Amino acid sequence: MKMIQSPLEEQFQMKTSITAETKIIKKIGILIFWILIWHVCSVFINEELLLPSPFQVLKSLVLLMGKFYFWKSVLSSVIRVIIGILLSVLIGIVLGLTAGLNKFVEELLEPLIVTVKATPVISIIIIALVWFNSSNVVIFTAILICFPIVYTNVLQGIKSIDKSLIQMANVFKVKRKYVLKDIYLPSIKNYIVSGILMCMGIGWKVSVASEVLSIPRYSIGLNLLSAKTTLETAELFAWTIVVVILSFMFEKVFKYYLQK
Amino acid sequence: MGKGDRNMVVEHEHNYEVIIKNLNKSYDGVSIFSDLSINFIKGKITAILGPSGCGKTTLLNIISGIETNYSGEVILKNDSISYVFQEDRLIPHLTVYENAAFVLKSTMNKMEVDISVNKFLDMVELLEYKDKLPGKLSGGMKRRVALARAVAYKSSLILMDEPFKGMDDRLKSSIIKKFLIHQRETGRTVILVTHDKIEAETMGDEVYFL
Repeated sequence: MKMIQSPLEEQFQMKTSITAETKIIKKIGILIFWILIWHVCSVFINEELLLPSPFQVLKSLVLLMGKFYFWKSVLSSVIRVIIGILLSVLIGIVLGLTAGLNKFVEELLEPLIVTVKATPVISIIIIALVWFNSSNVVIFTAILICFPIVYTNVLQGIKSIDKSLIQMANVFKVKRKYVLKDIYLPSIKNYIVSGILMCMGIGWKVSVASEVLSIPRYSIGLNLLSAKTTLETAELFAWTIVVVILSFMFEKVFKYYLQK
Repeated sequence: MGKGDRNMVVEHEHNYEVIIKNLNKSYDGVSIFSDLSINFIKGKITAILGPSGCGKTTLLNIISGIETNYSGEVILKNDSISYVFQEDRLIPHLTVYENAAFVLKSTMNKMEVDISVNKFLDMVELLEYKDKLPGKLSGGMKRRVALARAVAYKSSLILMDEPFKGMDDRLKSSIIKKFLIHQRETGRTVILVTHDKIEAETMGDEVYFL
């Protein structure tokens, strides 16, 4: 059966569609603008080794995509990043909740969190290289860098909760599981989401950096390193673009499921 | 001022729901209560009248256990307490129904919660708003949700801090009537704090001035 729309509804739908199209066109326009700037710079420098043109990088990327090791490297890195981020989020939420509900735990964890936050990423990677095999180095580094972000966000979320609501729940002797489910978790949801989004960006940067140093057999980091060693700058740029696209896709997929 | 004693009632004091002995409380060196002793009779409504800042809310907070920094003795017959707080204290992301159900879930099954919430939302004439969030309600409506939540909770003592604030006269009178019927039927003890003399005299079996 065909639905009959009023002219007003049709007009509204058309308006919404035009607004969405305008936004996409605007974004594509901005992207083209920056690619043009890149192109102009590469023409001006005129040295492929220093700055290849966007066309050379695109050609290199297409060539890479036709090779089996490209996909295996991408998939291996994606799995490591997913494991690293998931464990960071889990550890961050559990420790953040525990510390938020117990002042002693917060005080106990404070030196650890402050130390981890202040430790240079490179030191963590090198220490991990001593302790673990190459794949685990990446996951360990991602966890150590990302979990304090989620932890801090969760703790901040708990501290922002209206204490009078907790008092109310205590007077009515509401069980802790309901206080957690109905007051704490919904109140800290946005803090957890923003923590995860931050982790996704940082997680990719840190994981690829530790792949460069720990050189797992199939990894984006190893390919970046070999492109640099063989002075294949276009390939170096192509792999970098792959990381940027993957990080962007992670964020988009997460936001999509969040909206659902 | 140390932490006060909150104990259960002893045999010879069985006529009272709450007994307060030699209560002393001060804020920043200003005395709020000095050696205050007061007994609240079981099954009766005690209204407490007084101007702003005289310590009415503090007294309810001491009885409920929220305020612990005092000296003296507070003896309770039963430690299950309902409280209509001075502020509504509704959870902003839960609906009217869920707010009332929140305090019942720990002691009732789903069906009991449903019957109780619907009954008391009907008492405060808010049944049709049960799916609304507190943010969509007026001040008086939020007050009625807080009242329904407290009355729905199974307790022998109800503490009420200006429970009818923000309600128009018709609604206030209608809800008071229904509440009084409920109180007589269940024999719950009520401590009502108000600055409204007529409200205190209409509802209170006993009236105290602070």
